[in-house]
Amino acid sequence: MATTSSDEKQVMIVAVDDSEHSSYALQWTLDHFFTTLPNPIFKLVLLHAKPSATSAVGLAGPAYVGAAEVLPIVDSDLRKIAARVVDNAKQICSKRSVTDVITEVVEGDPRNVLCDAVEKYHASILVVGSHGYGAIKRAVLGSVSDYCAHHAHCTVMIVKRPKTKH
Amino acid sequence: MIYPYKLKKIMEEGGGGEERRMKMKAMVAIDESEGSFYALKWALDNFFIDNNNNNEEGSIMVYLVNVQPKFQQHIYPVGVAGAAFYPATAVMESVRKAQEESSAAILSKASKMCKDKLVKAESIILNGDPREMICQAAEQMNVNLLVIGSRGLGTIKRAFLGSVSDYCAHHVKIPIVIVKPPPEDQTKKQH
Repeated sequence: MATTSSDEKQVMIVAVDDSEHSSYALQWTLDHFFTTLPNPIFKLVLLHAKPSATSAVGLAGPAYVGAAEVLPIVDSDLRKIAARVVDNAKQICSKRSVTDVITEVVEGDPRNVLCDAVEKYHASILVVGSHGYGAIKRAVLGSVSDYCAHHAHCTVMIVKRPKTKH
Repeated sequence: MIYPYKLKKIMEEGGGGEERRMKMKAMVAIDESEGSFYALKWALDNFFIDNNNNNEEGSIMVYLVNVQPKFQQHIYPVGVAGAAFYPATAVMESVRKAQEESSAAILSKASKMCKDKLVKAESIILNGDPREMICQAAEQMNVNLLVIGSRGLGTIKRAFLGSVSDYCAHHVKIPIVIVKPPPEDQTKKQH
């Protein structure tokens, strides 16, 4: 498994979304693994999972009559958010002079998207942020980091943002 | 408060004014399982690469933690006359000695792995519930990163056997790396 050739870099996937927690996770990862080494050993992939419009509207209620009209608006809104997230992530990288970056936006449920991407890129590590929910919130809202820690087939790194309020 | 059973020298590196590089202090939890040694090996191969050819001191410090579960024999009073079973002190002594020996063997093997990769390592032995001790130790030693192996249990086994990596992932406040066993070992897929 020891690869010394430069084009056989290991792949690190960092999951990004709209939250502060994931930008913190990206910054932490860059600070500790990419800026301290003169030649980075990881190839960086930034992955954003865009929720599909139907799942976002479905939260409003199953019998939402005006759903058909709202869908295109919701969809374009989600696309804008995705573009902004990816842009933000690229900026964070370039501020630290990390340029060898692939970005990707995949539509679907974040949990499956992340685990599938691990398979696709044969990633050696997946980095996710964490909202730091307690047990109850986690049971109700679900936790992507939890799902990935259990189901991804590679090493998972969970970066939490230190609590600012006490 | 951790009450370490045996605390091998823990060097507090004075990071007072010298923070020119991000000093990485990582803690790796080790036990006798293959999974945790694989985690250490993985971390050494991929993370703790120290290009300190020109520095006199490396910027990576690894703390190897081994937690021995507390061995407690409960006293069961038996018999009409209330004659009680007392845990024989000889048994407790021999258990304690066996645990010490196993910790020493585990940690010496782990430190050798670190030394081979030219990474500074310190060993810590703790007693108690692995989940809580690892989380407490991580906070008290002020490390940046916790590395822990995972047995790759399915959901049901995890509910019965408990998972240290799961507990730590939820309760520790610092970034945690969960290293899964290599795919060749997963011959039976369990969900």
